[in-house]
Amino acid sequence: MSATSTVPTDAPAVRRRPGTATVLRGEVAKLAAQARSRALIIGALVVPVAIVLIFSTQLPPKDTLYGRHIHTSGYAVPLFVLAFAHQWVLPLLAALVAGDIFANEDQHGTWKTILTRSVSRAQVFWAKTLTAIGFNLLVLALLAASTITTSLLVVGTQPLPGLSGQLIPAGSALPIVIASWATAVAPMLGFTALAILLSVTTRNPTIGVAAPVVLGMLMQLLSSLGGLNQARQLLLTTPFEAWHGLLTAHPFHAPIVTGALVSAGWLVACLTFAHVYLRRRDITGG
Amino acid sequence: MTRLRTTVLAAGLAVAATSSLAGCGQPEVTKARLERAITPTFANLYVQRAALLGEPSVTAAGVGASANCDRGGPKIPDVGPGPDWICMIHFTDDHGQPQDGKFEIQAKADATYVAGGPSKLIGQAMLTDTHGRDVPNPVFEFDGAFDPDR
Repeated sequence: MSATSTVPTDAPAVRRRPGTATVLRGEVAKLAAQARSRALIIGALVVPVAIVLIFSTQLPPKDTLYGRHIHTSGYAVPLFVLAFAHQWVLPLLAALVAGDIFANEDQHGTWKTILTRSVSRAQVFWAKTLTAIGFNLLVLALLAASTITTSLLVVGTQPLPGLSGQLIPAGSALPIVIASWATAVAPMLGFTALAILLSVTTRNPTIGVAAPVVLGMLMQLLSSLGGLNQARQLLLTTPFEAWHGLLTAHPFHAPIVTGALVSAGWLVACLTFAHVYLRRRDITGG
Repeated sequence: MTRLRTTVLAAGLAVAATSSLAGCGQPEVTKARLERAITPTFANLYVQRAALLGEPSVTAAGVGASANCDRGGPKIPDVGPGPDWICMIHFTDDHGQPQDGKFEIQAKADATYVAGGPSKLIGQAMLTDTHGRDVPNPVFEFDGAFDPDR
């Protein structure tokens, strides 16, 4: 806990409780010191380069959307990576830190230690939540930037084939590709909240990381069956598909709006439940 | 173990709640949406194919495509995702002849589809373009998306 000793030593005589910002700085410092988070940041930058280089020599993977165009346009490659990654990679990335950030205090038996600081449980909760959300957004942004940059450098800036048979000129393709990746922010936050909930309630880092991925795959399975009809919009995996509407000749944005609302619903529900659980929890041991 | 049981129970409840919603609302994959999406998509791609073959006079309006989609024969209702959709596309080919092509469609729940065209009418997977290079035939197999709300 030496990393959290940011309270100035020459504090005024009347000591106030440290604000949430102080706790947040502590959590960020703890996260920055973890090998896992450093590896994730480096991975988000390096892995896309390897993927683009490998796929540029392979036969096009036609079973994934945009897979057939990865040699035709550099703008198609990030969309192919997005279409593939949302199946389980993005839920996993969302859960790797968020599923661990609460449960690792149980694993190391350090809940009592951090709560003996003069901060409330609510402050600890929000500091950890904001750290996880900020980190996941950073990883997503790095992944997107690295994928898009490498694709354009390796494959080129040819016109992008749209999903209505039209060719999108190179000039307007880049904003569409960036917007497509940006639509992944909402479900990423939803999965972050789900991982936080599981991390808080199960007190087990393994479940916190693995369970959101398994639940994500279950939701994918449910939605691909087709029996759900419009109820599939309530699943947390459906917003990951909302970008399809940006690529047609007459773009449609309703799935993006619905997806953002559904993700927000999951976020609020999961965080509320996790917050209540942590506030009411009896922390006596470890 | 109690915690684990609660979690499993909660997950089970969530799945049950979602499944109980199954069948509510309108289906997302329908005949009309598929037809509305595939008609301009085919026309656009046929124009691209003609451009590769050095036939610049072919236009989307000239192709005049119209589609009639059906799922799995007369006994199966024409809604829902599945690999058993067939779209008959009527169009005017690059020699000005009317043609009817049978396209096999794999409609997916995420409002996208994969269509495979009849090679007798539209050629093989690879074409030789005007520069003598082998290029993918854009209409041989193609992806598309439709608006699930319209």
